[in-house]
Amino acid sequence: MFRFLPEQASEFAPKIDNLHHLITDLSVFFTVLIFGAAVYFAIRYRRRDGVDHETPRIEGDHRLEILWTAIPTIICIFIAVPGVQIYHEMRNPPTNTLDIGVTGYQWAWKFEYPNGKTTVDEFTVPVNQPVRLIMRSTDVLHSFFIPVMRVKADVIPNRYTQIWFKPVKTGTFHSFCTEYCGKDHSAMLAKLNVVSEGEYERWINDWSADIKKSKISPAQVGFDVYNKNCTACHSIDGSPRVGPSLKGVFGHEVELVDGSKVIADENYIEESIRNPNAKVVKGFAPLMNSFQGLLSDEDIGYLVSFIREVDKFQTQSATPVAGSPAAQPAKDPASMTAEERGQTVYQTKLCIGCHSLDGSKVVGPSFKGLYGRTSKFADGSSAKVDDDYIKRSIAEPNAQVVEGFAPGMMPAMGSQLSSSDVEDLIAYLKTVK
Amino acid sequence: MSYSNDTHGKNYLNHERGIWSWLTTVDHKRIFLLYLFTVMFFFFVAGAFALLVRLELMTPGDSGVMSGLAGLFKSLGLQKLGSKSAPEMYNVAFTLHGAIMVFLFIVPGIPATMGNFLIPLMIGAKDVAFPRLNLLSWYIFIVGAVMALIALFNPVDTGWTFYTPYSAKTDANVILMVGAAFVMGFSSILTGLNFIVTIHKLRAPGMTWSRLPLFIWASYATAMIQVIATPVVGINLLLLIMERWMGIGIFDPSLGGDPVLFQHLFWFYSHPVVYIMILPAFGVIAEIIPVFSRKPIFGYKMVAASSFGIALVGFLVWAHHMFVAGISDFSAYYFSVATFFVAIPTAIKVFNWVSTMYKGSIRLDTPMLYAIGFVFIFMVAGTTGIYLATLAVDVFYHDTYFVVAHFHYTMQGGAVIGLIAALHFWFPKITGKMYNETAAKIGFCLVFFGFNMAFLPQFVLGMEGMPRRYFDYLPEFHSMHRASTVGAFVNGIGYSFALLNLLFAWMFGKVKAPRNPYESLSLEWQTESPPIHENFETIPVVTDWTYGYGVPVKGPSH
Repeated sequence: MFRFLPEQASEFAPKIDNLHHLITDLSVFFTVLIFGAAVYFAIRYRRRDGVDHETPRIEGDHRLEILWTAIPTIICIFIAVPGVQIYHEMRNPPTNTLDIGVTGYQWAWKFEYPNGKTTVDEFTVPVNQPVRLIMRSTDVLHSFFIPVMRVKADVIPNRYTQIWFKPVKTGTFHSFCTEYCGKDHSAMLAKLNVVSEGEYERWINDWSADIKKSKISPAQVGFDVYNKNCTACHSIDGSPRVGPSLKGVFGHEVELVDGSKVIADENYIEESIRNPNAKVVKGFAPLMNSFQGLLSDEDIGYLVSFIREVDKFQTQSATPVAGSPAAQPAKDPASMTAEERGQTVYQTKLCIGCHSLDGSKVVGPSFKGLYGRTSKFADGSSAKVDDDYIKRSIAEPNAQVVEGFAPGMMPAMGSQLSSSDVEDLIAYLKTVK
Repeated sequence: MSYSNDTHGKNYLNHERGIWSWLTTVDHKRIFLLYLFTVMFFFFVAGAFALLVRLELMTPGDSGVMSGLAGLFKSLGLQKLGSKSAPEMYNVAFTLHGAIMVFLFIVPGIPATMGNFLIPLMIGAKDVAFPRLNLLSWYIFIVGAVMALIALFNPVDTGWTFYTPYSAKTDANVILMVGAAFVMGFSSILTGLNFIVTIHKLRAPGMTWSRLPLFIWASYATAMIQVIATPVVGINLLLLIMERWMGIGIFDPSLGGDPVLFQHLFWFYSHPVVYIMILPAFGVIAEIIPVFSRKPIFGYKMVAASSFGIALVGFLVWAHHMFVAGISDFSAYYFSVATFFVAIPTAIKVFNWVSTMYKGSIRLDTPMLYAIGFVFIFMVAGTTGIYLATLAVDVFYHDTYFVVAHFHYTMQGGAVIGLIAALHFWFPKITGKMYNETAAKIGFCLVFFGFNMAFLPQFVLGMEGMPRRYFDYLPEFHSMHRASTVGAFVNGIGYSFALLNLLFAWMFGKVKAPRNPYESLSLEWQTESPPIHENFETIPVVTDWTYGYGVPVKGPSH
C-alpha cells in the first residue's frame, strides 16, 4: 500500500525503500487499528435517544499503560537502528569512487570532472561505478537531491559536503535543488545521464561541447598553485620541510599537537589553508600564515583537488623555488661559514616562504639589498636596517610593519630561532645584494 | 437586552462598556477576546496567502496568479511589491503564509487565547497572577504585529525559517520582519511566566495538583517551553539583525560566519515551539473526550506526565531538521534516535484518549466530532513523523512535500483544529449563547474532508520526490497538486463556514446557554455563562477530581 517512491537506480535504494515500506505498513496498521477503535467506540457506545446510559468510572490500567509504552518503544528501536545503519553506509563512500566536483550557484549547477571536463546543469556517470559528488556553493545554501538515487545533501558556501551513490541502471534522471535559494529555485534542475562504461569513455574524452575548451584538470591547476605558493614548506615526496609533507595525507588520519586525531578530508585541508593554526599536525610548530585573501576561493578549491590527487604528481618533480632546500645538497654544518649557516636558517626556518632573494614582493619584503638600507614604515617613520633592526623584526615582527605590507602576517620567530641562528642569518643577509 | 445595575445579570462582556474599557481591560477573559480577534485576523490573512499559493500550483508553469497579485499591488501603489516577477511574488506569498501563520497565529494561538480564558476559570481564580502584565503581553504582541505589517511593504522572501546566508543577502526588509518576531517573543515569554505563577499560586482551595484539569497540565508544560526556548530565538534573530545592519560576520560565510550555526540556533527554538503550538491542543482534546464520553480520562497521570515528557524531549531533538545540512554523522545518529522518543509520549496520549471512549456514553456533538477527527489526524501526523526521524529515509524526504504535509498535519490538523474544537466546546461559556449544531457539523465535515484532501496528496507528492518551495514543477506532479488545491479550498471554506456560524450565533443567536450545557465537572462550567467579571460569586472549594464521571466499578480499583 502507498508505494509511490520513484524507481530505484542506486545500490542502496532498495534497502532504504524496504525500511520505508516497513514504516508505511506499520503506520497504516496502527492508524487503522486506533482510529478504527475510536470510530467503533463512537458507534457502539453512542448515546441513544438523547439519554446517557450508565458508564463505569474506569480511571486507568497500569498493565495497559506499560504495554502501550513498551510496544511503541520496541517498534521505534527496530526502525531507528536500520535507519542509522543504512545512513552510515550512505555517508561512507568506498575508495574507488569517480570524484566529480559540483558547484551550486544562483541558479545553476556546475560539474567538474577529474580530467578537467566541465558541464553545466547536466552530468554523466558510468553505470556500476561508485560516484562521489564533492559539493560547494558560491553564494547561498543549495541542496542536491537525486530522487532515484535516494541521496541528498545541502550545498554550503563555507565547507565541502558530499554524497555518493552507485548507479545500477542506465537512463536519464532528474536532480533538484531542495534548499530554497531565491527566485529560480524551482528551475535549478540538473539532468543526470547514467550510461554504459564505453559510452562514458567516449563522452568524457569528447571535448567538443566543453564550456572551457581546455583539458587542464582541476588537480593540475592546483599543482601550479602549489608550485607558486607552497613548495617552501610542504613537499609532495614525503620529506619533511617546515610543514608536513602532502604525500599520503589526504583521506588519512592525522594526529594533532593536542593528541586528538582528524581525518584529512576536503574540509580539513581547506581549513588548514584558511586558518592553518586551528589544527596543527603533531611535531610541527604553528608557523603557517593564513592564505585567506591571498589565494582566491577558486585557487583554494584547485589546491584541495591537487592534494586529493597528490600521489599522481609524485613522478613529476615539483619545480623547487630557487634556493629552496630541495634544490641544494645538504652540507656538514661544522664546515660551514656563518653566511652558509645563515643561508640554511633562511631556507629551513620558514623565512623563504615569505621573503624572496630576488627583489620580488611575496608576502613580506624581499631580502635583496635589505641590510643597510632605510626602511619606511606604515606609520610614516623610518629606520636603518642594522643588526638590532633585524633582531627586533624577528622577535616582534608586527611592532613596526614596512610600508606596503600587511601587519599580522609574520609570526614571532623567537622560539624557532636560537640567538646564534639569528647571528648567522644576519651574516647571510649582509651577503644578499 | 437590558440589565439592572445590580451585579446580577452583569457579565464580563457587559460589565463595562466602550472601546476604552476593552483597550485598558485587565480581565483575562477580555484579553482572551483581544487575542482571539487579533490572531483570527492573521489566520485569515495567512490563509489567503496559502490559497493563492495553492492556486498558483494548480497547474505547472506560470499560471498567472502571482503576476495578477503583483498587478493588484501595483494598482494599489505598492511599487516594491508590484514590480516583482511571478516566481518572486510566489516566494513572498509562501513566506508570508508561513511567517504569519507561525509567529502571528499559531504560537500565540491556543496558549494566549484559550489559556487566557480557561486557566483562571479552571483553577477557580479571579484572574491570572499578573493581570496588567497580561495586558502588556497583548500590547507587545500588537507592536510586533504592526512591525510585521509595515514590513509587508517590502516583504521578506526567505521562507519563515530565515535561513542565512540568503536572509543576509536578500534586499527584502528582513530586519523589520525579524525584529517583529523578536518583539513578539517577549509577549510569549511574559504570557508563559504569568501562567506558571497563576497555576502555582492561585488554585482554589481543594484544587490539588492531582485534581488539575489536563488542559492546565498541558498549558503548564507549554508555558515552560515559552519561557525557556523563546530567549534563544530572540538571541538568534538579534544576531541576524546585527549581521545585516552592522555587517558583523556571524552566519554569513563571506564575512567569516557559519550558516549552519544559524540553523542550530533557529531550530533550538523552533522545534520546541512546535510543542507550544500542539500541547495546548492535546489539552483541549483531553478535556472534550471525557465530557462527551461521560467517562473519566483514562490514565490521568500518564496523560499529564506525557505533556512534560514531550516538552522535555522536545528540547533535545532540534537538529533532526538538519540531517542533510552538513552536521556530523555522530550528531545525526543521536538526533535521530532521540527523536523517536517524542513518539512514545505522543502515542501514550492517543491510546489514553481512545481508551477513555471505551464503554462510555458517547455524545456525538460537534466538539466530540472534532476530537475524534483529531485522533485520525494525529495518527497520520505522528506516524509520518517516524519516517522523518529515520535517518536513511529522511535523507530522501528532507525538504520535500512529505515534510510539508507532515507539519501541516501537526500544525494545522493539530493546533488549528484543536483551537476550532476548543472554540466550539467553550462557545456557550464564552458568549452565553448556543450555536446551530447542524451548521457546526457541516462545518466540521468541510474542514475534515477539505484538510485531508489538501494534504494527503502532498504525502504522495513527497514520496514521488517533489521538493518544497517550488514555484514550478514537472508535469508528473500535476494531478496530486490539483487535488491538493481543490482540498485546500474546501478546507478554507470549511474554516470560514464553521467560524461564521459561531460569529452569527454570538451576534444574532436567540438560544441562551445554561451554566453547564454539557454537564462537565470542570470548574469553569460551574459559574454563569458568560462568567461574571470576578469569575465566581464566591471562591469555589473543590472536593472531587475534575474527571469523576461514571459509576464506581466493583473490584480492585486502579
